[in-house]
Amino acid sequence: MSPVLFLVTLFLSVPVAIVLGVTATWYIWESGNIVLYDSFAQKMFSGLENYGLLAIPLFMLTGELMNEGGMTRRLVALARIFVGGFRGGLAYINLLTNMFMAAIIGSATAQIAVMSRAMVPAMKQEGYEKGFAAATTAAGGLLAPVIPPSMMFVIFGVLAQIPIGEMFISGILPGLLLAGGFALVITLIGWQQHFPKGHWMTSREATHALVEALPALLIPLAIIGGILFGITTPTESAAVASLIAFLVGWLIYGDLKPRNLIEMFKRTAVNSAMILFMIAAASVFGWVIIYEEIPQQLAGLVTALTANPFLFLLIVNVALLIVGMVIDGIAAIILVTPILLPIATGFYDISPYQFGVVVCLNLVLGLLTPPVGIGLYISASMSEVSPGTILRSLWPFLITVWLVLILLSYFPILSTLFI
Amino acid sequence: MLYRLSVLWARFELGCAAILALCVTLLILLSVVTRSLGNAIYWVDELAIYTMIWMTFLGASAALHHRTSVAITVLSDAVPPTVTHMMAKFVDLVIFLFAIAMLWFCWRWFQPLEIIRAGFDTTAFQSTMFNFVYAEPTSTLGLPKYLFWSVIWLFAFGATLHSAAHLISRRIER
Repeated sequence: MSPVLFLVTLFLSVPVAIVLGVTATWYIWESGNIVLYDSFAQKMFSGLENYGLLAIPLFMLTGELMNEGGMTRRLVALARIFVGGFRGGLAYINLLTNMFMAAIIGSATAQIAVMSRAMVPAMKQEGYEKGFAAATTAAGGLLAPVIPPSMMFVIFGVLAQIPIGEMFISGILPGLLLAGGFALVITLIGWQQHFPKGHWMTSREATHALVEALPALLIPLAIIGGILFGITTPTESAAVASLIAFLVGWLIYGDLKPRNLIEMFKRTAVNSAMILFMIAAASVFGWVIIYEEIPQQLAGLVTALTANPFLFLLIVNVALLIVGMVIDGIAAIILVTPILLPIATGFYDISPYQFGVVVCLNLVLGLLTPPVGIGLYISASMSEVSPGTILRSLWPFLITVWLVLILLSYFPILSTLFI
Repeated sequence: MLYRLSVLWARFELGCAAILALCVTLLILLSVVTRSLGNAIYWVDELAIYTMIWMTFLGASAALHHRTSVAITVLSDAVPPTVTHMMAKFVDLVIFLFAIAMLWFCWRWFQPLEIIRAGFDTTAFQSTMFNFVYAEPTSTLGLPKYLFWSVIWLFAFGATLHSAAHLISRRIER
């Protein structure tokens, strides 16, 4: 009965966290282990007693502060210095800015929202086809959860009980690979479509843009540098980054109004509470997974199919592409990690870092694929282009992500090189 | 009337959650500063975690009022408005039942009647009930942990109030 209840409530749009709680409640009732009810609430509480999770509200806050602090346009100007002069310059600027932003923001949806507003109108104005403009921006958003910091990596790290700092570092190379793949797609499409010509900045303009953007660059420096050199924990680096974002946005750029802080903290609280509450509910749902021995049963099925770790990852990839199409990425990672990770590490000897990178990138792809693709809809509404039009230009980017996923599945070194 | 109460309570929850989010940030910054000065305050991290947990449960309850929790809406987006309305009522009912269950779980956990019967004597309570909820200490703060655990009560009350208000109200908002 529990699986039926789980699926019915899930698809009748009961909030995911409540689905997990209700299923666990029902399961305990059915199994007669009523004594577990005494510690049900405590288990939910203890599911959040984790230092690493503090990074979630802090990275959300950094994103909010950056968004209000006028950093986006300075980062766009910075990217213009490096790639603005190429044919199709604005498309590369879009990609490069997305890389900068990915090193500040840890959520693809947030990044797609900010970047669609900033880049799509500019690209349309310069004569780019609007579907392509929106697709490039939406694809660029996929860099957010791979290039550190990443909300998904924080959650995966906590669930997998591995250091979040190292999980972040394992995303650097895959992030660069993905960005390289996207750049290649833009180049190939550019040859075919004859993108508008770009223009290089004069050295005066370039110096001005560089000086303007330097304070904003302190944020990725604090986050990645702090973690890479072991100076700060990911949680601490997130707090430092939010302080820098606040000071730079308020005192240097003057775009951030302290009176808006209340609203920013409200959004931070409610958005991070939604994610954290799912994690709390997942800890009681963990009982169902453990008592039913779901990983062991599933492992029995999968290991009968193949003993090859690469093939296993391919099977996982296909399954998760389908899961990602209907379930929000973060909810999906909370659901599948406790089930699949023990199989990957226990039966196939796959590094949890490699597995984390593959699974997170795979699930975030669901943001851009219908029917649920939230990222696609955000991009569509922000850029006033229909989701169908975006999809028509998006497929080369989606294929690139699939190819990168295959590479990441085949070569563990791509994820584990820097750890 | 109930809906009005739900609105006010959600506003209160959201306000508290926002202040707690600010506190989380300040606590971690305090920890960074004191650690870099070589004089780390040992209880800050634990307090920051509890602050985050309070923020989470208050924010999650407020999200139930605003219907902004993460849910899978493939089906509800695809069906006609009358069916969507019925689905929304079903969702409210499920949340309401879960909220009541949470109240019951809290009741079983804290056993309020028993502790009153024991005259708030936790030692007597423990020796008869074998329930150590009032004895558990925090690791570094020197405070009893039930003070922090009590946020689950607030969540259960908030969730019950919000879902009940939605259940009897005619309005559907997303």
